[in-house]
Amino acid sequence: MITLSRALRAIALSLTALFIVTTPVRAQDVRSNATIFVGNFAQQGINDILAAPIASVEKQQRFRTVFKKYFDLPGIGRFVLARYWRAASPEEQARFTTLFEDVVVYTWSRRFSEYNGQTLQVSGTQTDGPEGTLVKSTIIGNNNSHFGVDWRLRKRPEGFKVLDIVVEGVSMAITYRQDYATVISQTGSFAGLLDRMDSQVADLKRQQGT
Amino acid sequence: MYGNPPVKRIPVFRPQLIARLAAAGIIAASLAACATRPPASNPIALGAYEEANDPLEPFNRAMFNVDAGLDKVLIRPIIKGYRVIVPEKARPHLSNFVDNFRSPITLANDLMQAEFRRAGITLGRFVVNTGMGFFGFFDVGEEIGLAYHSEDFGQTLARWGVPEGPYIYVPLLGPMSFRDGIGFGVDAFLVDPVAWYGRADGSMAWVQWANFGLVYVMAKDNSMDPLDELKKSSLDYYAALRSSYRQIRAKEIRNGAPPPMEDFDE
Repeated sequence: MITLSRALRAIALSLTALFIVTTPVRAQDVRSNATIFVGNFAQQGINDILAAPIASVEKQQRFRTVFKKYFDLPGIGRFVLARYWRAASPEEQARFTTLFEDVVVYTWSRRFSEYNGQTLQVSGTQTDGPEGTLVKSTIIGNNNSHFGVDWRLRKRPEGFKVLDIVVEGVSMAITYRQDYATVISQTGSFAGLLDRMDSQVADLKRQQGT
Repeated sequence: MYGNPPVKRIPVFRPQLIARLAAAGIIAASLAACATRPPASNPIALGAYEEANDPLEPFNRAMFNVDAGLDKVLIRPIIKGYRVIVPEKARPHLSNFVDNFRSPITLANDLMQAEFRRAGITLGRFVVNTGMGFFGFFDVGEEIGLAYHSEDFGQTLARWGVPEGPYIYVPLLGPMSFRDGIGFGVDAFLVDPVAWYGRADGSMAWVQWANFGLVYVMAKDNSMDPLDELKKSSLDYYAALRSSYRQIRAKEIRNGAPPPMEDFDE
């Protein structure tokens, strides 16, 4: 914990600033298309959700729409559950995807009110496997704090989709993967994981009074 | 007649004995509490076991629960008190000050890893922040392009090729690999000049305790909220913390270089 405190602080800040203003980028090739994609996500997030003068319930609904549009939920499911995904039935896979969407929507939207003008700068891109691009960015806070957020994108038939967000080296997908693998081995089944996610979502909903 | 009850001999408080008993207890408990490796006939469970790489998991989880109890009754009240006493705006400056007087540890480890450019940055920051930044309360180095980084002996050992060793959860200190545990001890007692100073003169031992206290409060103050967040977003907080810890350390050891490709398209 001692050695981690800086990185952890950065992660806490980044959760408040998943939507951010981006610097303009020039469209030239696939890579800048990827940065434009990240920029659009950020722009839409801040204009339509974070800075929008709307009730928090509506922010949550808008975020759900944006999240589904920009993120590759089945792809995340395949990675997060890995071997369990292949062993699961299509119904279980669909139920997982729905629950995972809820978990993300309810955990992230709790902190939208903490946003206070952080900005994002795309610092570069690199190839990430045959179909992928990694967009590297820095989030800059008010008190000169800054930390790295990498966006792992995949080219899908309908365009780019986000597969993972890596904040100061911590991958959301890898963290969920190890969390969920532990729950599956504790409960002994995939259904056990789904039940636990179900009650987590119920708790989060109750806390937010929705 | 009622005879006096037999006088109970109150054992003299003997710290060494207690320490020895505790050590024996910990070893016995950890041997008894080793996680069972799943059989090869169950490849899914075996794969999960290997990815977790936590052979002492049952013992670690017990320590994790001890830590949660201590956190509630001891650490949280301290941090809440600290937050009452020190205003929010002053906290980053105090944190900068602590980072600055700990930078000799980073410098020594930069050098032990033969990272001379980074050692130069650390030295430059120390000079600029101590002088112009009023003993480090202001991070002037950051403003002139000398970005902060930290190095510790755990990272140095990793760069020297020492394996990570088993994951251990230490109450009050939190998650660490065996390698990081060694590194933490070496930095705290051998590398840190504040520790030398504290030892050089017996009457100066308080300096070392003040040092520990300040570093500890900074670390807990910085990590309390994000950890609460991780706890809420995860199903198994223990596993999520273990994973985050490993990823952060891996990034620090790589000095921020991008991670090797994960197989995301299986």
